[in-house]
Amino acid sequence: MKKILFIVLLLTTAVFAKVNVAATYPYLGEIVKRVGGDHVRVTVLASPKYDPHFVVPKPSLLGKLSRADMLVINGAGLEIGWLPPLIKSANNGKINPGSRGFTDASQVIDLINKPTAVSRAYGDIHPQGNPHFNTDPHNIVPIAMLVAHKLEKIDPAHASDYESRLQHFIDHWNTFVQSFDAKMKPCRGMKVVQYHQLYNYFLARYGIVSMGTIEPLPGISPSSKHTLKLIGMMRREDIKTILQDPYHEKKTARFIADKTGAHIVVLPHDVGAVPGTDTLEKFYLSYAERLCR
Amino acid sequence: MKKTVLGSLALATMLCADSDVEQLKKIVADQQKVIHQLQQRIETIENHDKNRQQQELKAKIAKADTFSASFNQTGFLPDIAFIINGSAVSRNVKNSEYEKFEIPGFVDAGEAELPFNKNRGFNLNYAELALHSAVDPYFDAFAFLHLHPNKLEIGEAYVTTRSLPYSLRVKAGKFKSNFGRINAKHQHSWHFDTQPLVYKAMLGPDGISDPGVQLQWVAPTDNYLMIGAEAMQGNNERSFGDPEENNLYVGYLKGSMDVGDTTLLAGTSIAHGRNDSGHATDIYGVDFTTRTYLDAYSFLTWQTEALWRDMNDGSASNMQAGLYTQLIYQIDRNYGCGVRYDTLFRNRDGQPDDLDRYTAMVEYKPFPMSRLRLQYSHDRSKMIDNQRKDIDEVILSINIAAGAHGAHAF
Repeated sequence: MKKILFIVLLLTTAVFAKVNVAATYPYLGEIVKRVGGDHVRVTVLASPKYDPHFVVPKPSLLGKLSRADMLVINGAGLEIGWLPPLIKSANNGKINPGSRGFTDASQVIDLINKPTAVSRAYGDIHPQGNPHFNTDPHNIVPIAMLVAHKLEKIDPAHASDYESRLQHFIDHWNTFVQSFDAKMKPCRGMKVVQYHQLYNYFLARYGIVSMGTIEPLPGISPSSKHTLKLIGMMRREDIKTILQDPYHEKKTARFIADKTGAHIVVLPHDVGAVPGTDTLEKFYLSYAERLCR
Repeated sequence: MKKTVLGSLALATMLCADSDVEQLKKIVADQQKVIHQLQQRIETIENHDKNRQQQELKAKIAKADTFSASFNQTGFLPDIAFIINGSAVSRNVKNSEYEKFEIPGFVDAGEAELPFNKNRGFNLNYAELALHSAVDPYFDAFAFLHLHPNKLEIGEAYVTTRSLPYSLRVKAGKFKSNFGRINAKHQHSWHFDTQPLVYKAMLGPDGISDPGVQLQWVAPTDNYLMIGAEAMQGNNERSFGDPEENNLYVGYLKGSMDVGDTTLLAGTSIAHGRNDSGHATDIYGVDFTTRTYLDAYSFLTWQTEALWRDMNDGSASNMQAGLYTQLIYQIDRNYGCGVRYDTLFRNRDGQPDDLDRYTAMVEYKPFPMSRLRLQYSHDRSKMIDNQRKDIDEVILSINIAAGAHGAHAF
């Protein structure tokens, strides 16, 4: 009798054991939840309030990584400043780069802005290309497919579940993106400046032209000389829109807006970065609503 | 009448059928023509493809005549970071006097090692080469080579395991012990250019840094809990240094949790070894850190650490103790400032227990890889020629870290 009870207990824990997935950024966590459903327990490491390049390596993240069966990263160098030492100290072989639980979303994306010359003299550049591909909703499906593929390998017992959830998600997402594309149509040809090269994937997708950045170089704080040059350019080109992320200082953008009559549009860089963007859909819709009215 | 109708109907159907057949034949012929055209196109494409493959193969063969990348290993280069630390120092004590300072009860005259910021005027403290590479699926290797003006020193060189089960990790080699809050941290990642007084007094500039082995366990939980144990050679002459055999054992427990936008971190450590008189030395440490994030680049950190040392020199066992407490305000991504108070508040019998120091700094980072720092300290812990001597010091330091991204731990 005891034996049976024990076996039943064991089986139930096996059945109800969830796959622990750590995702570096909120949007990745959302994708994992959509594909994994009840079979996964998702922990997001970075807060959407802060700069994704400079996540504080809090000790509590070590415990979360130590527990994970799978780690999903954005990749393309976005985590280089904070994640590698955490992985090394989390003592979890399952999520080391190269092991089964390690998932790099950038591997399924065609990266743009790949620098032809790599040196920090050009600022904080990413040798693999621009890592901010989550601003384009068309990049969500390939990542969802990768996540499903990985989950099926780690948790084969629920493979068919993941597959059907994925199909359902893809159908839903394609419909969503179709209507989103239509919403973005009126913005085609618009000219903007942005703080950091954060929205390039989104801008390229919808035919919006990025004419410059408030940062003189990636990761370098604005300088007065560069700001004045930018203001001159914006006046010449009649640029009326400044794209600002929620985490950088907004003083410079306000100064430029003052001098040029442009308006500042704050676009979230990730799910949940500004109020009312706590799902993938709401996150992208906020782009259309804030920019393309 | 009926017959006529029937006859004409039959005739009409026959006529119609005839033209249907004709039409069908024509359609079939057309389709055959299309198929034939398609076949031809496929053949052309196939031929084209074959030609291209042939050409590519020829090109490959021509290239292989003299070219091979099979022994190219650049992809396996370790991550390399290059760190340079230098300073300009102004001090109210001559170099010749400063060299022989003593911290009564802790550091005898002339025994203070002074690898950093020693001279009035300009100092190149060190250049450091930090190397890291995965060895294989089982080990990571690290080396930190210190290039001092006149010597090369292996600061650390160790391997760690990559894939032990149960959240365990073993480290082996020469490494800085994880004792306390800052023992494992390198000089260039300290918040001030000078070492906390209690570390300098009890452990010296390198802290506990020895050949040995370490085992750490990280609890697989939402909060951080880490337990570690180390067996080390015990070369540290300030507190240990029994020359006859390995003598040092270190253990620690660290925990951390996040409360809203604040991180709390606390730790307790013990180091048990034998000193050069062959008797026991025990050091106990407790540390506490809070960091509150104000925005993406701004935070406020309060960090306090206290050490107690019970060092038996054969005649008597004496408890000594000291602590530092510091407040760091990172104003934005470029500017930071901080203050620190150091005290050695308990000393051997007959030695002063009012040794302390005040330090303040401002720093500017134009980029995460470079840092300029201006620091002032008023030091009431030193004796020169058996006289208490207050030392005022201003240090302007520069630190750069080029090359591979050396992300620092919390």
